Amino acid sequence: MANHGGWAGKVLRIDLSTRRISTEDTIEKYKDYLGGTGIGYKVMWDEVPTGTKPFDPANKIVFGVGPLAGTGAPCNGRTAVTTLWPTCWPKPLVASGHMGGHFAAELKYAGFDAIIIEGKADRPVWLRVVDGKAEIKDARHLWGQGIRRTTVDINQQMGPESSVAAIGQSGENLVPMSVVINSYSHSAGGIGGVMGSKNLKAIGVRGTGSVRIAENKEEWEKVVKLHLSLLGSVNQHVVPNSPQPWAEYYSPTRWLGSKGRKWGSAEPNIETGACDPHNLNRIAYRTNNAAFFLGEKAWQYTVRGNGCSSCPIRCHTILKVPSVSSKYGIRAVGQNTCAGLVFGREFFKTFPDGPRGQTAIEACMVGMSLTDDLGIWENYGQMQRDFQQLYYSGAMKNKVGEDEFKGFSWDQYEKGDPTFLFELLPRIANKQGELATALGLGTGYLLERWGISEQDWQQNQKIAYWKMGHPRHHANEDAGQCGVIINTQYNRDSQCHSHVNFTRNGLPIKVQKQLAAEIWGSPDAVDAVAAYSPMNIYKAKMAKWSLLRKELHDSLSLCNWMGPWIASPLKERNYRGENSIESLLYSLATGDKKSRDELDEVAERIFLLHRALTIRDMGTKEMRTEHDTIPDWVFIDPTGKASFTAGTNRMDREDIKLAMDMYYEEMGWDKKSGSPTVAAYQRLRLGEVADGLTNRGLVP
Amino acid sequence: MEQREEIRLTIAKIIREKSETGQLMQFEELLTELAGQGLLNPEGADQRSHLEGILRQVVSENEDIKELSSKNQIPHYYSSRSLSEIYAGILVRKEENSLIAEIVRENSAIYPRPVPLNIFREPPFDLTQEEILDYLEKMGKQGEYQDIAQTTTSIGTVFLYSNRHLDATYASILAEWLDVGQANNP
Ligand code: SF4
Repeated sequence: MANHGGWAGKVLRIDLSTRRISTEDTIEKYKDYLGGTGIGYKVMWDEVPTGTKPFDPANKIVFGVGPLAGTGAPCNGRTAVTTLWPTCWPKPLVASGHMGGHFAAELKYAGFDAIIIEGKADRPVWLRVVDGKAEIKDARHLWGQGIRRTTVDINQQMGPESSVAAIGQSGENLVPMSVVINSYSHSAGGIGGVMGSKNLKAIGVRGTGSVRIAENKEEWEKVVKLHLSLLGSVNQHVVPNSPQPWAEYYSPTRWLGSKGRKWGSAEPNIETGACDPHNLNRIAYRTNNAAFFLGEKAWQYTVRGNGCSSCPIRCHTILKVPSVSSKYGIRAVGQNTCAGLVFGREFFKTFPDGPRGQTAIEACMVGMSLTDDLGIWENYGQMQRDFQQLYYSGAMKNKVGEDEFKGFSWDQYEKGDPTFLFELLPRIANKQGELATALGLGTGYLLERWGISEQDWQQNQKIAYWKMGHPRHHANEDAGQCGVIINTQYNRDSQCHSHVNFTRNGLPIKVQKQLAAEIWGSPDAVDAVAAYSPMNIYKAKMAKWSLLRKELHDSLSLCNWMGPWIASPLKERNYRGENSIESLLYSLATGDKKSRDELDEVAERIFLLHRALTIRDMGTKEMRTEHDTIPDWVFIDPTGKASFTAGTNRMDREDIKLAMDMYYEEMGWDKKSGSPTVAAYQRLRLGEVADGLTNRGLVP
Repeated sequence: MEQREEIRLTIAKIIREKSETGQLMQFEELLTELAGQGLLNPEGADQRSHLEGILRQVVSENEDIKELSSKNQIPHYYSSRSLSEIYAGILVRKEENSLIAEIVRENSAIYPRPVPLNIFREPPFDLTQEEILDYLEKMGKQGEYQDIAQTTTSIGTVFLYSNRHLDATYASILAEWLDVGQANNP
């Protein structure tokens, strides 16, 4: 270990049943899996037997961070939390959630690359980790408290610099749709109930150490500076949202900073300015996710951006909306990003003052106030889409007892009154009544409980449901066949942004195609949105690259909501980014010199281990037909437009079959079953995994 | 330093400073400014041709200094260090009736995508709602703008597109995607 930088060097193992605390050497055991999801999948493969259920003591939770966490590399604050996924339907399988904030860096400074949680405590506990030492502490006084109070309580004990990842009442009550949250708004979905099942209320970490950079420090600084210079706004949108003096292009991206636009609730107000990309001290002014998702009005309520350690993007916008204190009795200040930001709003179909009005903003504030304290997960908006569909189709009324149904203020709901959220959300966290209990199960188990066929959901484009209890996440609507392939691969929504961060980056299609030719071998890898061309091998290469980079980021602690960085806002680079930035950073930080291809190969090993775990626990090698499935709505256009015409996202069944063939071939897997071959495992030094699966008859 | 060289350096500096504020430098403005500083001789009518000559030299000597003429042939100058060609192109066309149509056509052709109407209320267009509606009305009556069409999204946002580059269905799908779809798929 002595020669390696990057890694802290130790993995912490906590057995809550026996209260045994131990450590193991990261390099010896996990170096070939980097960190993050890599360590997570490895632990799940080695230690969690097939047939284990998410809430069994035998299930484990791995909080994994990577060798770049806690360094100066941009956007390095992500912690991957891997476990058996309680909302994966019809059978729980391995998956991971990802939280930003400061937990990852703090864990490294405390001397650890991961925490493996196993067993079950006999009473509520929290875990205190400080500078190489861990202690299991009594949490009985915290049980029943929300996330905010728990966080403050532990922060008061450990000091304000510590990072606290806690669950709310939802997780305590074993609601599958629960999160763990650190730093108030940085959540990992699906994990809350699993922590609750182990009686683990929170983990507080504090470290005063540092992360060593193994190689030449000047080189490191240079690469970090290069990386910073390539950043766009959140989601690596490299073109501003409106014409700016310095910019050649403008597009409706999330790069909202502009002359005249102000953070209206900062005291005094702050103008974002034109945000010339060469000024690295103004990167944080580019993004305002509240204004992007809630509309123009959100500018007046914006205080500033907040975010993860070492990330200048600050995508968690802090809002101050004074009216919500008097109207709803909640704090005037809230912060979150993307789906968490709009959690409350998305339950409603209409608002009295329109979709971008004051009431919609207030619904967001109420939503954040409740869910980020109770610790409820929204499953990328699927909970709210399910809710609307079930209510407006009349199914909800039929399934919920009459008395219970009458107990809700449906007239308020239909009018778009945010007070309705006070009736609904606490009941979900507390499993009160049939409706709330069913919603808390996640889509797959809810449909099963209410006798609704999954196929009904898979035919309705508006519900955006994909498979296995989870929604689409940047599929054909964003990247045609490449997006479809990506959405078939995981046991929850895919959470992959590698492809969409490119296709939505704002550059004209001609420039995107020039970059695509350099990266994936042909301009034909990408199409203009809603004008898709038939499948070709370059789209399969793009899909493979996207998946591997996602897994790489999740294992290094880089943010896949930002990366990869293959495009940039820099005209002088012809908008090129740097396809090797990850391997440059990794090699310099750790001293383990790896080329881009070599590091991508490690990512492929990690991804393959996820595939192997899925195959083992599903007990079938017929992945193509039983796992990598595609909902019917992908092949339907509401107006009947044919595939491959401009103006539709409709895919063609035969073409998608070809897409899957090409993808499996690119991966070196068996086309018929969609399962990796023995040779594919061996190529990535997973021979033992191949042996294990061969013994079970699970390789083609 | 020769006086002519001093003038050239001063001109480049003035143009660059103006560009840093996000604006173009007009020939007339430059003339007034230099005359005010006493840097232009000879006097009177010859000043113009004298300055034209110097400006030609400034443009050829400085890679970043560019000349751009509006439709009525008035020369404008800017530095590409602070202003992009596209942005300068918008500024120089600001007073022209065709600006909205040209912007809409460019966007429909190169990205491709329709453009939300409200973008014209923001810098550098800075048009009022009335001015925008006025332009639209005029465009509706003139044959040369018949390719400019409108589509409205499900939340009521109006987008413009050119049917030379996008058909009606494609434009409406793209507008819905940009206005509603992207935010619903965070
Ligand atoms: S982009 Fe947002 S989520 Fe990603 S690291 Fe930065 S602040 Fe965190």
